[in-house]
Amino acid sequence: MTGLAIDDAAWASAWRLRSPADKLLLSGGLVLAALVLPAWPGSVLVGLAAVVLALGPARVPARTFGRAVRLPLAFILIGALTAVVQVGDGGLGWAPDAATQAGGLVAHAVAGSAAVLLLATTTPMSDLLPALHRLRVPDAVVEVASVTYRMLFVLLTSLSTIREAQAARMGHAGIRNSYRSSGMLAAAVLTRSWDRARRLSDGLAGRGMETGLRVLPEVLPSSPRFVAATLAGLAALVTVSALT
Amino acid sequence: MHIAEGFLPPAHAIGWTIAAAPFVVHGARAVVKEVRENPESTLLLGAAGAFTFVLSAIKLPSITGSSSHPTGTGLGAVLFRPPVMALLGTVVLLFQALLLAHGGLTTLGANAFSMAVVGPWAGYAAYRLVRRSGGGLLPGVFAAMAVADLATYVTTALQLAWAHPDAASGFAGAAAKFLSVFAFTQVPLAIGEGLLGVLLFRVLVVSARPELERLGVLRRTPEPDQAPVPEPTPGAER
Repeated sequence: MTGLAIDDAAWASAWRLRSPADKLLLSGGLVLAALVLPAWPGSVLVGLAAVVLALGPARVPARTFGRAVRLPLAFILIGALTAVVQVGDGGLGWAPDAATQAGGLVAHAVAGSAAVLLLATTTPMSDLLPALHRLRVPDAVVEVASVTYRMLFVLLTSLSTIREAQAARMGHAGIRNSYRSSGMLAAAVLTRSWDRARRLSDGLAGRGMETGLRVLPEVLPSSPRFVAATLAGLAALVTVSALT
Repeated sequence: MHIAEGFLPPAHAIGWTIAAAPFVVHGARAVVKEVRENPESTLLLGAAGAFTFVLSAIKLPSITGSSSHPTGTGLGAVLFRPPVMALLGTVVLLFQALLLAHGGLTTLGANAFSMAVVGPWAGYAAYRLVRRSGGGLLPGVFAAMAVADLATYVTTALQLAWAHPDAASGFAGAAAKFLSVFAFTQVPLAIGEGLLGVLLFRVLVVSARPELERLGVLRRTPEPDQAPVPEPTPGAER
């Protein structure tokens, strides 16, 4: 357990040992299809495909996937409603094709979010970061991102422990106390992050690793069958959308 | 406020990615240079990224009843300067999209532009302005954090208005709609985040003064044993 449900799901997923490039191809293809194809039937099919693949072969817990899809929903619904309200001389009203427009926006956004989640719940961040090397992102940047990923769980644990201690001492009783405690909480987490970074740096320097911690990336071979199935599935999605 | 995946049309998603790219590349160059000169700063920058991510897990009680999460871009701009924040902010946005389902991949460019570019630069400008006009550290930090938040929210609302203009009143009407709808959560959040920044720095000034001096936020105070010793004046012993 790391404290982030999506990360936990990624490590436990049945697709964890599949090649990150294969999964990027599948999710990337679905994300693009959700964006470019018309909402009906394109986005609906993309959304269904992402959910079925995640809950079926990738064996992501339905509860985790459902909760994660729900998170951006508030923004999507408020945004879509705002987009279709019309400001005219007579005040507020609905745009002429409000229902279709809002439905289309929600379908694109939900399908796209589900496609991103398919990647997020099957591929841990540490598998994706080496892919940045291939996109010619400088080593120093990838290394900073890797340290960020490794350190954020320690800081999240510190944050919840300190917050629990504050709450037990009535530190979050009332808005005034809550703000004071939140300020101290943020300061404690920031100074802990500096302290941890310094200690890590000293430890690495003591072992002669002054340019960072280099580890061999896990080799996860690509599966030609998976790639072929992905390409066939995406082609079918595009064909069905074009014919409808 | 992150724009969700799929909420922007393809042309806008590409356009905002191209607009954010030069700032992020500039930030990446700044990070590469810093790491080349001081290899140990990889870990400090990684820690800064992790802190910015974790800051969004702190819940701030909001006056409107809902709780909101600070973005930390103004704080990052004061501590690490806007170019570095352009890169760290983009990395954090990528992590938020893949670990928290906040934001998205095709909307990463638009979110990076508002949250990692406009927010930090506006916040840093407000901070410098307050410090130049004689304001202290704490008013400067309040201005940086509140202005960074407000600038991010205004930019996001304008991005949404441009992507989805109003059927009757066009971009202006849509801008008014998006600005007023999100004002309910974003304006109290900006004030709340400014207050959080002040409380945070009040603690940091006492407990992490050397780090703030090293980052250039506070002026270095001379060590007591290095302070210039006044020349003994003749006859002072008497």
